[in-house]
Amino acid sequence: MVDAARHPNITILANTEVEHVDGFIGNFSVNLITKPRYVIADRCNGCGACAQACPIEVPNPFELNIAPRKAIDVPHGQAVPLVYAVDMDHCIHCYKCVTACGKLDAIDFAQQPQETNIEVGTIVVATGFSSFDPSVIPEYGYGRYPNVITAMELERLANSAGPTVGRLVRPSDGQPPQSMAIIQCVGSRDKRYNEYCSGFCCMYAIKNAILLKQMHHAMDITIFYIDIRTPSKGYEEFYTRAREAGIRFFQGRPSLVSEDPDTGNLIIEAEDQALGGVVEVEAEMVCLSAAAIPQPDADDLAAKLTLARSPSGFFMEYHPKLRPVDAPTDGVYLAGAAQGPKDIPASVAQGSAAASRAARVLSQDTWEIEPIVAEVDPALCISAQGKKCGICARACPYGAIVVEQGQPATIFTAKCHGCGGCAAECPHNAIQQKHFTDAQILAQIKTLLQDRPEEKILAFMCNWCSYGGADMAGISHFTYPATSRGIRVMCCARTDDKFVLEAFRRGAGMVLVSGCHPQDCHYITGQQVGARRFERLRTTLERMGIDPARYRVEWISAAEGEKYARVITEMDAVLASYDPAEVVRQNRQAAAQIARRLKKWNEDPRLVHIFEDLPLVEEVVE
Amino acid sequence: MTARPTQLDAHFAAEVMERPGGKHLLTCMACGTCASVCLVRRFYPSFNPRRVLHQASLGMREAVLSSPEIWLCSACDACYPRCPQEIHISEVMGALRDLAIEAGYEAPGPFPVVDSAVCSGCAVCARVCPYEAMAPARDEADPTRQTAHVDHTRCLHCGLCVAACPSGAISLEETNDQEILARVTADGWMEQRGLLSGGTQPRCLAFVCQWSIRSDAAWERAQRFGDQVRLVPLPCSGRVEPAMVLWALSRGVDAVLVVGCDDDECHYQRGTYIGRSKVYLLSEMLATMGYQQERVRFARQASADRYGLERHVQEMLATITTLTAPIAVTVD
Repeated sequence: MVDAARHPNITILANTEVEHVDGFIGNFSVNLITKPRYVIADRCNGCGACAQACPIEVPNPFELNIAPRKAIDVPHGQAVPLVYAVDMDHCIHCYKCVTACGKLDAIDFAQQPQETNIEVGTIVVATGFSSFDPSVIPEYGYGRYPNVITAMELERLANSAGPTVGRLVRPSDGQPPQSMAIIQCVGSRDKRYNEYCSGFCCMYAIKNAILLKQMHHAMDITIFYIDIRTPSKGYEEFYTRAREAGIRFFQGRPSLVSEDPDTGNLIIEAEDQALGGVVEVEAEMVCLSAAAIPQPDADDLAAKLTLARSPSGFFMEYHPKLRPVDAPTDGVYLAGAAQGPKDIPASVAQGSAAASRAARVLSQDTWEIEPIVAEVDPALCISAQGKKCGICARACPYGAIVVEQGQPATIFTAKCHGCGGCAAECPHNAIQQKHFTDAQILAQIKTLLQDRPEEKILAFMCNWCSYGGADMAGISHFTYPATSRGIRVMCCARTDDKFVLEAFRRGAGMVLVSGCHPQDCHYITGQQVGARRFERLRTTLERMGIDPARYRVEWISAAEGEKYARVITEMDAVLASYDPAEVVRQNRQAAAQIARRLKKWNEDPRLVHIFEDLPLVEEVVE
Repeated sequence: MTARPTQLDAHFAAEVMERPGGKHLLTCMACGTCASVCLVRRFYPSFNPRRVLHQASLGMREAVLSSPEIWLCSACDACYPRCPQEIHISEVMGALRDLAIEAGYEAPGPFPVVDSAVCSGCAVCARVCPYEAMAPARDEADPTRQTAHVDHTRCLHCGLCVAACPSGAISLEETNDQEILARVTADGWMEQRGLLSGGTQPRCLAFVCQWSIRSDAAWERAQRFGDQVRLVPLPCSGRVEPAMVLWALSRGVDAVLVVGCDDDECHYQRGTYIGRSKVYLLSEMLATMGYQQERVRFARQASADRYGLERHVQEMLATITTLTAPIAVTVD
């Protein structure tokens, strides 16, 4: 940290919050609010005379409120920059600190929050994690029994720079404990709280156990676990060392911790798998390995930076295997536990990776983007005619579209990722996605349904998941009927409901619309944009007389080749149960209504060549 | 038992999951929370819900369905709110029992026995039974009469019917009145003198629901009051008989404490509510008779409260010493 502060190319903006982020890769404009310290940073030399003079003591959050701090203090001993700050919630304005500061004259009670704007090329998000509060699990008694502590509290109590100068004592009576029980998976691997595995708790629990054993040889240490997970280099050996050091391991998640009212000792009840029976352990202290959880303000930051979040709440990467440190927004990178629970080596590795990814951008004058971006035809956009619309802007997961009444919608090309959701959503066909234009996709529909269409299943697949799923079905040699015909779009959001209608007008037997599972979408919320539309389409089809059983929506991931094969097999069975004549009858019956809904396309000069073989709308209606 | 893959039934887990309540079977990660919180294990140390679930998920059909263990779970649901995988284990057990019944297995019992000569067919037992296991039906010996019949596939032998029967027609082994009285009077406890009968120390009779106590250690701790207290286990606090309480008070016992499960933790669905209302009505009745109602008390004992029993007894003894002698109660 000190090295970073001294580096000529690094500026640390402590006590500062991101207020607003604008712009795009290479050209971000970030509004910052620096909160007042009430101490002038340039004058404070960190001597601490002010804190000594301050008469107010408040709980110290860095010491997890075990120790006090003053109303003017540094966050912790190794803080960088070493500048004192006044805690205005507790300051009584006695000004003893001002007197103590003397000639340095560093204290300034008139300081105000300062707004600044900086221009940056890339942003790395490394906001870390927060710790689960185990007091919501009543059976472990945290918050009720003083001798039940969390692992973070143990860290402070066992730390030589901590409140007890490294002397581990029981909160109830201040005596050093002779025995300690450590409970794993507190609030993690638990559907009631956090379903995921926190990953690094096994290692720090073993670390703490070995540390305590080294400091107090006679201490009796028991670890209760469901599974010990040591999947990194040297970790398993460390676990072995702990067992050899005499640390006791019970494979069983405790169901209850009770306190002996006389001694303050705790009785832990668990089932040990190897014993096949229940064990009751009495310990003088219990330490809970609480889950790592996302920062409480992750939502706020996600909104400012258009970040996606995984189901667990941590920030989502662009691609779990191929782009693990990139955020879905270009030019934003993720490092450390903000992206998912991580231990120190993994966080350091990811931090280096994120810095390299950022350097890749910063070292170039120009940056190439994918050519599949969307563009607006100003002549067709009704916003330009002064009408209220903005549908495209609402559909865009990246905030790349700006709509002002009286002006055509503007797409920031550098922010566009090419999901195509806006192109499908625009009711006036004013937006086209390059390389996935209406003309291109309609031509595919036309070609694929040229021959005996009533026997075919037309499948719209998103590039990242369901197309990969279909590919997986192929390379895994899963057998499925040869009646399906696929059309690839970048995101299921691009699958215009009119494409499905057009497929039925051209006589398709079945239509499948598929995309990513909601939490896997590569375009943050693209799947949701599509899903809403596909649900509405179901009732539309029913009204038109097309059996909804002939239209199916499925979320298929790239790994689910089996699911793709199964869906197609099932759809084929449904189609086989139909009389082909009935399919033709339904499609013919709906043709007139479909034609009315596709009127704008029929009249579009760019699409004339597609529809020239179809009867005119008027003829169909008659 | 050996589990050979060739002997495992690959469809068994799916069959269980299709049943109502069985759908979460395969999400179990064998953490053992259920096994360690389960109160049944105090009396049946071999009982282990985790093992039953694991056997079922592996497809050990015969081992699971023939096991007496699936009949031991009384659906108190102490495990359900603590299970990190949110498996409703008592419902899985219910699904397994259904399958066992279909496969021709019978519940092991013991079951209440109705003396049809004494039974009046009043159906009070049918109303009190939490499992709808009691129902009046045509008597076998005398088809003109209705008598109570026990459905062995549903009965979990709580004994509530035994206490409820106004004719004393129902008996259940180990929980008959005589057996309970024998536990009260053992070692001449009833002959000793309490404060009311001129003795020097208080004497309290405590009927304790056997399921509300976590461990033998908790039981032993409550015994530290020696002869001042006589702890009598009951299968359920709803099994307590008001006549027995009055009998004890009339024989010079200073107070009667009934300890039952906490809300929503009753092993027999609503037995604790029945026990509580009995004690409440009884104490009201004593009050109208001019007797000190503090001498009869119901204490709720949460399953997680390891030292609760000791505390309840201590509180009751403390109450006794503050009371002056009441007017005498005599009961025939």
